[in-house]
Amino acid sequence: MAKQKNYGMVIDTRVCVACSACVYACKSENGVPEGYCRDWVVQETEGAYPKLRMENRSERCQHCENAPCVTYCPTGASHYAGDGTVQVNRYRCTGCKACLAACPYDARYVHPEGYVDKCSLCKHRLEQGLETACVSVCPTTSLNLVDFNEPEAKADEMMNGKEVYRQKEHAGTNPSLYWISASNKPGA
Amino acid sequence: MTETTTEIISTKLNPNVLPHLHIWEWHIPLYLFLGGMAGGLLVITSIMIVLKRRFGIGPRDEGDGCPCLAVRIGSILSPVLLGVGMLFLFLDLAHPLYVWAFYTTIQPTSPMSAGSWILIAFFPLAVLQAMLVNKKFLRERNIGIVNKLIDWTEDHLTPVALVNAHIGVGIGIYTGILLSFFSARPLWSSSILGMLFLVSGISSAAALMLLLAPDDEKPTYSMIDANAIWIELVVVGLFVLGGITGPANSSGAMMHLIAGDYQMAGLSYMIWFWGIFVALGLLVPLLLEFLEAAGVHIKFPQVAPVLVLIGGLVLRFLIVFAGQTYHTFM
Ligand code: SF4
Ligand code: SF4
Repeated sequence: MAKQKNYGMVIDTRVCVACSACVYACKSENGVPEGYCRDWVVQETEGAYPKLRMENRSERCQHCENAPCVTYCPTGASHYAGDGTVQVNRYRCTGCKACLAACPYDARYVHPEGYVDKCSLCKHRLEQGLETACVSVCPTTSLNLVDFNEPEAKADEMMNGKEVYRQKEHAGTNPSLYWISASNKPGA
Repeated sequence: MTETTTEIISTKLNPNVLPHLHIWEWHIPLYLFLGGMAGGLLVITSIMIVLKRRFGIGPRDEGDGCPCLAVRIGSILSPVLLGVGMLFLFLDLAHPLYVWAFYTTIQPTSPMSAGSWILIAFFPLAVLQAMLVNKKFLRERNIGIVNKLIDWTEDHLTPVALVNAHIGVGIGIYTGILLSFFSARPLWSSSILGMLFLVSGISSAAALMLLLAPDDEKPTYSMIDANAIWIELVVVGLFVLGGITGPANSSGAMMHLIAGDYQMAGLSYMIWFWGIFVALGLLVPLLLEFLEAAGVHIKFPQVAPVLVLIGGLVLRFLIVFAGQTYHTFM
């Protein structure tokens, strides 16, 4: 039997140019309706002029290992898929919106068809051995799909010796997205 | 030292979370209010029944097992109000046709799952109790199965009422817990919210019974209401203190509620909270009921209970809205 997958992402914010290709690749791959998104690009500027520091990053559902959306979902529609991802079964989703209130990353939205939707880490593509739409289109390799159960961990290699963080770790969610901070940039 | 700032520009579009959480409108606060009141009615009527049956305490006895007219009305209103509340809850679902999905599973970690089962568990015994205290009218109809049910309840009314009192407390607390488990929403994330909604529900229920009770029964409900308001004032105080003395997330959220200039229906949260909820919804009725008990008769005895009901409704709207308009846990 193949080893259990444990998917996640390592996102290198040093090279992200905020082109939004990932956002539009996702929208067309997953039929995300107009006015909504499963992933989005954030530009964070910090400091005092002229000493400014900027970080671009592409954000999405963090596929938390301890996901409040799953904890609070009353129907089991939101669930752990067993491959490290968190999924929504739209045929059990009542649209009660408990998961939206529960998510500390505001990663979800109510689909106009009446169920809750969010990044699925392109589960349908992963099952075919493909990468996610956003990863496959990212022109700077800022986005990287990783399997944390892989023996010769590509993830460790990417992150070694760099300042890496996870978002809102103190929320106790154990998120599966790792960010290589832009403060690693030369001259930052 | 120059001040450093952080500015975030995001391309996120989703209207449910931007510019702040926006998932619940008027349905949910109304449901929380009605549900809390239904729970409160069940608690009060059940306790009145037990007191009467077991200890002979309570207002006039009409000799048919029911302590008084207010209990008779309250017992009927309790399941009715909960039913109406659940209708609003149902209407709030983005996909109401999948409501069955709540009842094909038990999700032990989800308060909403527990709540949806409690809501169902509420009805059978509450309806039986309402039938029994109104048996006078039902017996006249002389329907076989109804007679049998009444006979059974007649023999078991004390245990039924005791269980009902607990279910009522469960419903009241649940309406608060539903919100307080969301640690991502700093205002709601307070364990005392369940207690606050419970006492507020009991005081609203007492106010409703006070409004509907005939004159000779009014003092009983006025007294219950005054006591519930006292307790509610203490719990509100603890809720506020717990917030402002808490970490940045909690204290910011509490200030957003009690001192915020964010508006709801044209008035700031601050005015709604202190002016309408605390002053008009708690302090003024408490004073009026105190005067009434001291023998100073007020021209319009309906004022106090109506204010209490308004206060209870405003509390639910304020908590639900202010909890959504404050930023997500950081
Ligand atoms: S980021 Fe939000 S939606 Fe995604 S798994 Fe975590 S809690 Fe759930
Ligand atoms: S909206 Fe759907 S996925 Fe979210 S908590 Fe409710 S039933 Fe679960």
